[in-house]
Amino acid sequence: MQQIIAIAIVLFFVFRLIGQKRKNSISQVEFYLWLFFWIFSALIVIFIKQVDLLVAYLGFSSTGIDVLLYLSIAVLFYLLFRIRIKMEKIEKDITTLVRENSIHDK
Amino acid sequence: MNKSVKNKISIKDNEKFFSSGIKDKIFVVIPAFNEEDKIVAVIRQVQKYFKNIVVIDDNSSDNTLDLSRATGALVLHHIINRGQGAALETGTKYALGKGADIIVHFDADGQFLPIEIAKIIEPILSGEFDIVTGTRFMDKESNMPIFKKYFIMPVARFIMRTLYKSELTDPQNGFRAFNRKVAKELNIENDGSAHCTEIIVKTLKNKWRYKEVSITVRYDNFGASIFSGKGRGAGGLKILKSLFYQKLIK
Repeated sequence: MQQIIAIAIVLFFVFRLIGQKRKNSISQVEFYLWLFFWIFSALIVIFIKQVDLLVAYLGFSSTGIDVLLYLSIAVLFYLLFRIRIKMEKIEKDITTLVRENSIHDK
Repeated sequence: MNKSVKNKISIKDNEKFFSSGIKDKIFVVIPAFNEEDKIVAVIRQVQKYFKNIVVIDDNSSDNTLDLSRATGALVLHHIINRGQGAALETGTKYALGKGADIIVHFDADGQFLPIEIAKIIEPILSGEFDIVTGTRFMDKESNMPIFKKYFIMPVARFIMRTLYKSELTDPQNGFRAFNRKVAKELNIENDGSAHCTEIIVKTLKNKWRYKEVSITVRYDNFGASIFSGKGRGAGGLKILKSLFYQKLIK
């Protein structure tokens, strides 16, 4: 039952992703990147028993889903960090534009 | 103005500027954000000594822009608030374009004394130094709030000494002057108040000849605290945060 709910959630996001692609809201590369991510997530949900075995084989005491959760938090922190850095760069670009505008308007 | 301070400033310095014609090449850059109460008085006082005054209105929500324009100063306008460091770089870049040989950074809130611009420019005019910064700690002229004097400033000095090996006594002082060479190479990247630290770091890195000069700072109900400050990127913690991100995106 849990797997069915998880797959339903994944499908919901895949349909949303397709919708965004049709509206040209995201680029081709971004579309395939997210599609890969959701397909990967669905495969983990379907083969969760094998993931448990793999995790145990690697020496983790937690279940497969726990380890994936820890990993996902680490990935999220990294993405947050990347976004923050990107934002700083965008801020710098805005400053450059504002500066050029003020000097040329004079 | 404090009489003793006035007497300490060499009147000969002023005469030297006014007779040599060099003053045409001196540009005073004043960033302003919501300073309608003080900006006109500050510009008028500076105009007594220098004609090239560049005011950068950093998208103030009050009448700073119109009031500044009415004084006859050269006024630039940021259409989005970008912070004091960004405004200073805009003014510096503009002054360079206008042929400035010496650029002075001066605050819009009336903390500094325009007559002391002569004092801060003198070491550059003599050709001995590339950049001169003001300091509030060589004598006791300023009435700096106790918390700032005995907590914020020692912490700032400690950070500068530890991270950047700087022996400057007043790392957050915004009153400075520099020559054209420095202005060209400076390129202030930090939009907020962390630009003070950035300038010191670049001074040390580029081996510009620098000097500190004692200046007077008047404190009323203003000045940045640890958490707050006027405009984007002001306030102690924001300064530290900006310096951190600046390091990361390099």
